[in-house]
This record gives sequence, structure tokens and C-alpha cells, in this order.
Amino acid sequence: MSEANAVTSGRLAGRTAIVTGAGQGVGEGIARRLAAEGANVVVAARRADTGEPVAAAIRGSGGSAMCIETDVSSRESVEACVSSTVEQFGSLQIMVHNAFRGGIPHRLEEADIDKHWNHMSRTGVWAVMYCGQAAWPHLRSSGATGRFIILTSPSGIEGSANIPLYSPVKAAERAMAKSLAREWGPSGVTVNCIGPVASSPALVTAFERTPALKGAIEARTPLGRVGDPEADIGSVALFLASDDAAFVTGQTVICDGGSFLGL
Amino acid sequence: MGNAGAANIVIAGAGPLADSLRAAAIVVERPTTVVVARIATAAKPFDELTDADFDDAWEQPMREAIESFQQAHRARHERLIALVPTVGMSGAAGLAHVAATAEAVRVMVKSAARQWGADGMTVNCIALAPELFDIDPAAVGAVSLAPLALAGKGSVVDDIVPLIRMVASADAHHITGATLNADGGLWMTS
Repeated sequence: MSEANAVTSGRLAGRTAIVTGAGQGVGEGIARRLAAEGANVVVAARRADTGEPVAAAIRGSGGSAMCIETDVSSRESVEACVSSTVEQFGSLQIMVHNAFRGGIPHRLEEADIDKHWNHMSRTGVWAVMYCGQAAWPHLRSSGATGRFIILTSPSGIEGSANIPLYSPVKAAERAMAKSLAREWGPSGVTVNCIGPVASSPALVTAFERTPALKGAIEARTPLGRVGDPEADIGSVALFLASDDAAFVTGQTVICDGGSFLGL
Repeated sequence: MGNAGAANIVIAGAGPLADSLRAAAIVVERPTTVVVARIATAAKPFDELTDADFDDAWEQPMREAIESFQQAHRARHERLIALVPTVGMSGAAGLAHVAATAEAVRVMVKSAARQWGADGMTVNCIALAPELFDIDPAAVGAVSLAPLALAGKGSVVDDIVPLIRMVASADAHHITGATLNADGGLWMTS
């Protein structure tokens, strides 16, 4: 992680955020960035042994954080996470759904529902429903400071030759965000997506599996590097979570160094 | 759910739109599968969606679409054309569960196009007016400041079948991964 939180202005002071999948990678970067701006942050991680160190590090830097073990593919688990958050901090303004169990490369004609689809559908699209529904009463109460931020992918726009069933899952998340932006707009709550390409355990694994991938990504990226979870992606999440983005909704911010330049 | 009436085209999917296409007995130049996405039609506030609603609107239709895509590849068809409503691109209040499936099928087309181009197969999408999928336009609501550029939802026989024939023709051999909007100009931002 970078030192992006060295200078802060407390833009989220008094607000509470849940970040799913915050035990590592992009989720951790977002949790650290939001906490550095004064938010109470719930590190919602599938395992406390990854989430608690992140929460402890935030607290060690003077921030406010707690870890809640959460399985985003379970309605009950997500609801319990939100309930515990509100019980602890009194309110919830920002829900960030980042957790995702990534796919493995496959041929579409050979794809197996159990092996190549279920876990992505459950932790991606189903989890958007669970996170959104559980957070909604509290986001609505927060009015113009209510935020639902969903981590999607450029692959949800351009498709994927490597993991073809990853793309429809990420596309579905974008469509849900647009729909919710329309549905929740009258309440002042905004709903947006971030499409990152950033260093994460999943990407590191992909680099290990396909050594040429890192060079290929860098070669097609105008800025010539993979993003940093906190400095690059966390900053975009901070913007969307802040008052500065109160008039931005239904959008997907692609944050990948310019790798994807489509519509 | 195939179309036995025409040897070189399979219409995969259920519902009135798929039935109309089967009844049209389309004849195309290249062996073609048309996948009519199964799209739920009932609008419902997001916070009221149940697991059963979502399974019916998202999970099962997507499994069917994946299977239909795979069958098209197994059949060694040269053209796969998916039909979806434009609501996946525009989003709509009360239709998040519907939009998810529509957009997922549209983007799965791009993944398939990337993989199956080397197999001699083009994969494209035609995005249609929501009414053709029996989605109430009132439920879709205002998704654009502009009025509908062309009146009506489009005729399956007069408007949609010719598009299928064009995409399934030899002349369209270099078009793949594309979305052709045929919704009367409701949504122009793909």
C-alpha cells in the first residue's frame, strides 16, 4: 500500500462505511483510504484472520475500524454485518461491495456451471442484491450522503477472452447500478461502479499463472503500470463517497491507467 | 426448444418473441442460432426482491443462455445472435433484476466473440425495444430526454427478421462482438 493517507482532510468524518472483501487487495486499499478521511470503516472479510489485521492497522494509524466476518453470498451474513455496523457506529452512509471470488480461465463451450459460474454469480451479482438491500434503509436515512459503490471490471464492458463468464457477471453489476441509480435517485442516494485494474492477490496469482500477462497489461496501458489499491483505486472510491460526487450516479469509473478506452 | 421448421436456423428460448420468430420460418444464408434471452417482465422495487425472484430473473435465465451458447458452438453454427432488451444498457427503476440479465447476455456475446472467432463463428447481439419482451414501457420509464425517434416497438416480421437475416448473411462475416440497437431510437448510447 502507498502512503496516500499521509495527507487527509477529514472529508468523511462522522460517516460510516462498510467495505466488503477488505481483507486484502483493492478492498483493503479502499478501506484504508476511506478511514484516512475520517470514516468509521467496517472491514467486512470472509475470514477474520485477513480482515482483523487491516482493521488493526487502521486503528493503529489513528483511524476507526472494526472487522466483521462476512460471507457476501449469504443474505443472513450480510444483514448481520449491516446490523452490527449500525449497532456499533449508529448509522451507515457508504456501502462498498468489492468482495468477489474470481474466475479461472476456461473455454466458454466447455464451461461448467458449478466450476466456472456459481461462485462468481453468488459473490458478484447475488451479493449486490444482498448488500444493496441490507444497506438501503440506512442509505435512505442518510439522504444525500448515501452511497452504494460496486467494484466491477472493464471486462464487464468489453468481454473477456480469458475468463468469458466473468464478463457477464461484471456487466450485470453495472446494469444493476444503473437501475438502482434511477430507483434510488429521488432519495439522494447515489449508486456508482468502479472498474479497476490494480494489484491484488487475484491479479498476482494471474501473473504467476500467466507470466506474460503483466507485460501485456502494461504494454496496452498508456500509464504503463498496474494501479495501486489505495492510492489509485481508493482515491476514486473516496471521491465517489464524498460530497464532491453528490451529482454523480449510475456511472462506471474505469480506473485502469487508460487500458480500456471504449465507450 | 429448437426450430425444426428451418434446417439452418435454431431459435433457442421460450416466450412470445421466440414463438414469433419460429413462426416466421426464417431462412438464412449461414447456419445460425438465435438466442432469445429469457427476460423476466415484472417490475418490483429492489428492496422487495426475494431470492426466488432473483433466481427466476437472473440465475435460471443465465444458465439457460450459457447452455444455448454452448449448444450453438457444438452445432458448429457460423452465426450466433442474441436478442435482449435495451433495458440492460439503460437501466430502469424497479427492473434491476431484469437489467442484470439483459446486460449479462449482451456482454457474454463479446466474450464468446473473442473466443469463437477463431472457430469461424461470429457472435453478435440485437438489442430490442423492451415491449418486444413484454416489459411494460411504463415500468421502464423515461430513460432518455429525447423522445422515441421512431414510433412503436418494431414489428418482429417486418423489422427484426430482416436484421437477423443480415447478421446471418455471408456479407456480415467481419462483424462480431457488436450490438445492433433496434429499439426505435429509445437508447442511443451503447
